[in-house]
Amino acid sequence: MTLPSPLPQARRRKRSPLPTLLGVVALVALTAFIAFGNLGKSLEYFVTPTEYVQQRTELEGRPLRIGGLVRAVQYNPQTLDLKFDVTDGGASFPVRYRGAVSDLFKENQGVVVRGEFQGNTFHASELVVKHSEEYNVPQTQAELKDLLRQSE
Amino acid sequence: MLNLISFNQSALGALGQLALLAALAFTLGGTWLAVVGGLKADTRATEAARRAVWAVFALVTLATLTLMTALLGDDFSVRYVAEHSMRASPTWVKVTSLWGALEGSILLWAWLLAGFAFVLSLTLRRDALRPWALGAMFVNLLFFVGVCATVASPFTPVSQVLADGRGPNPALQNHWMMAVHPVLLYLGFVGLAVPFAYAVAALVTGRLSDHWVVATRRWTLTAWAFLTAAIVAGGWWSYETLGWGGYWAWDPVENASLIPWLLATAFLHSVQIQERRGLMRAWNVWLIVLAYASTVLGTFLNRSGIVQSVHAFAGGPVGPVFLGFLAFLLVAGIGLAAWRAPHLRDEGEAPAPLSREGAFLAGNWLFLVFAVMVLVGTLFPTFVEAVQGRRDASVGPAFYNAFAIPLGLGLLLLMGVGPLLPWRRAEGQGLWRALRPLLIAGVGAGVIAFALGVRSPGVLGTIALSAYNLVGLGLLTVRAMRQRGGGLMTLVREQPRRYGAYLAHVGLVVMALGIAFSGAYRQDAQTTLNVGAAPKSLLHETLALQGIRREVKPYGQSQVARVLIDGQPFEARLNTYVQGGDSAFAAPAVRYGLLGDTYLVVTAFDADAKWASVRLIESPLVSWIWWGTLVVVLGAGLTLVTPRRVAVRVPVTRAAPATD
Repeated sequence: MTLPSPLPQARRRKRSPLPTLLGVVALVALTAFIAFGNLGKSLEYFVTPTEYVQQRTELEGRPLRIGGLVRAVQYNPQTLDLKFDVTDGGASFPVRYRGAVSDLFKENQGVVVRGEFQGNTFHASELVVKHSEEYNVPQTQAELKDLLRQSE
Repeated sequence: MLNLISFNQSALGALGQLALLAALAFTLGGTWLAVVGGLKADTRATEAARRAVWAVFALVTLATLTLMTALLGDDFSVRYVAEHSMRASPTWVKVTSLWGALEGSILLWAWLLAGFAFVLSLTLRRDALRPWALGAMFVNLLFFVGVCATVASPFTPVSQVLADGRGPNPALQNHWMMAVHPVLLYLGFVGLAVPFAYAVAALVTGRLSDHWVVATRRWTLTAWAFLTAAIVAGGWWSYETLGWGGYWAWDPVENASLIPWLLATAFLHSVQIQERRGLMRAWNVWLIVLAYASTVLGTFLNRSGIVQSVHAFAGGPVGPVFLGFLAFLLVAGIGLAAWRAPHLRDEGEAPAPLSREGAFLAGNWLFLVFAVMVLVGTLFPTFVEAVQGRRDASVGPAFYNAFAIPLGLGLLLLMGVGPLLPWRRAEGQGLWRALRPLLIAGVGAGVIAFALGVRSPGVLGTIALSAYNLVGLGLLTVRAMRQRGGGLMTLVREQPRRYGAYLAHVGLVVMALGIAFSGAYRQDAQTTLNVGAAPKSLLHETLALQGIRREVKPYGQSQVARVLIDGQPFEARLNTYVQGGDSAFAAPAVRYGLLGDTYLVVTAFDADAKWASVRLIESPLVSWIWWGTLVVVLGAGLTLVTPRRVAVRVPVTRAAPATD
């Protein structure tokens, strides 16, 4: 056969409005959900300490991820209480976390903590060492800075 | 930098690269032959295109085997082997390294695609669709083989041959599931290319009769079963290796595999309306085109690094190339569908709301909304970045759960009522009588669960709808047995499609219960245990650390903590790999149980082996997810079985029985 044979136009006939109606209702509901729902609120930003200082009014009280280098680690393995400072060379904030960290968690390591600020202290609910795109943990400060620069 | 072939390649590298280049040449030739065969209705050209598919499959197989040989033989003059494998790895890790990084995974994709094209070339009918379906497969092959042979060739030589390779990614050496999950996933993704090829052929030729849809259903079902297994296998890998006791994190790349699954599921239901009633033809074409495009979108997200994900590989030129292919697919597929789909004529009147097709249609909309919401959540951070200039925002699981739970419950509701409703139209009175036992069972189960202390609305809803579904399927089966006077096996043999679908639905109910319970009632606690100290109690269990030992292997080492939980020994590990630096990968000890799993992770060790910090997770019914999936896949397989011939009742009007 040769291409393309013209096809007859589809017959016009009475259609039930139901499919269209259902679609419209679903789409309206979807739009409403996005517009008035909590998509904006459930957005979680990844900032460095300096960025937090700059945008404090906007970010205060929101779920955040803070990335930076680890300083001044105080850890009690028996109670699992961890305190440290996170810094990007500029600003620095104290972080509190409850949970185990290995002795590999050390000064100047790159880290990302997820949680919320309460006053000046960041209360972390999760402690993640940021994966680079090759899954490898950043080994050096330069690599971490690269990483932070990429995600800035 | 393109480096198609060079003189300093090793024998294996040159062989693989030449095989890929030859495959590319056959792909180009085959594409041309298929188009000629289609335009001029030249059966000889079409036949030659068919043979070209075989050549492409043979050559890509050769390339894949070459890479596998290089991996197993530690040929570090091949760049891919040097960068992603090493001598000391166990053999199974070397095998999985074939798809453990970018270039190899694209080669695997190309190989599976060529394999599917080969099977398709053997099963295609001799009709007008044949050259165009082959042509559409060739266009896909052109992309994947082309990428493999040029910008992402695994056979590029290294400038200086290393004595030992850099080794595979540590996260991928942790569990045997890495050998299974990616292959299943690609089988699912690639399988969806075949329905796409049929759809393109039907649209191009204007042969829009229904026989291609019937062929497509089987292919889609096969791909869908692989995709289902792959998604859950990924969840199981996550559960067994990441040490967080969960299986789904709404990671962008997990989402990218869920979107085609949702669209394919919608298609599998709406295609039955086309088979039975001749309706929704245009709709089905759209679903196929979008399902396949979403697999390419998924790969693009996976490979480009445009979204933040643990799965993302390093960027390079492959991201833009995939974006180009995605844009081409969308423009060509949507353009073709928009041009031709209005000519797809439906027979008869539109579906009535209270009918089987009405339920399928409503389900289709839920699947579509689900897919759109997942897509919105996945891409929203990227939009925010583009619009607001804010970087690295992400949408948390709370966002997804807010719609996934109600939509999931809605789908369970429709899943129960769908099989009960007759085609065309249900009378109000009859519907009520049919639904009554289901509703009674659902409400009863809900009340009992509430009395037993279940308070989470999501879990209550899931329990009620599970009872409602199971009673519905049970009643339908019992009624059929009574009417036909046969046993269950006779029924299944006569109508494998219908009972396969029922079985898949039972599997989904089991999975839904597993997801609801493990999501709502997971308990998680951490503590530090000292060797030789009195047992500590945690989450109604008593934990005692018996000892810590070290196991050294050539590719890394493990710290193993032996913990007694209520007297039963658990051995949880922390693995470090030579190429992983300091970072440790937890290998939890999981005791699987029918009613719940006990999951122990070691999070830290003392250097002197005096104490270990552990995390204990108790989650109920997690294994129901794995078992449920097995049931779903078995059900899907059953629907593909040819029914036993029954001499008396041969359906006259339509060849394929629907799952009614």
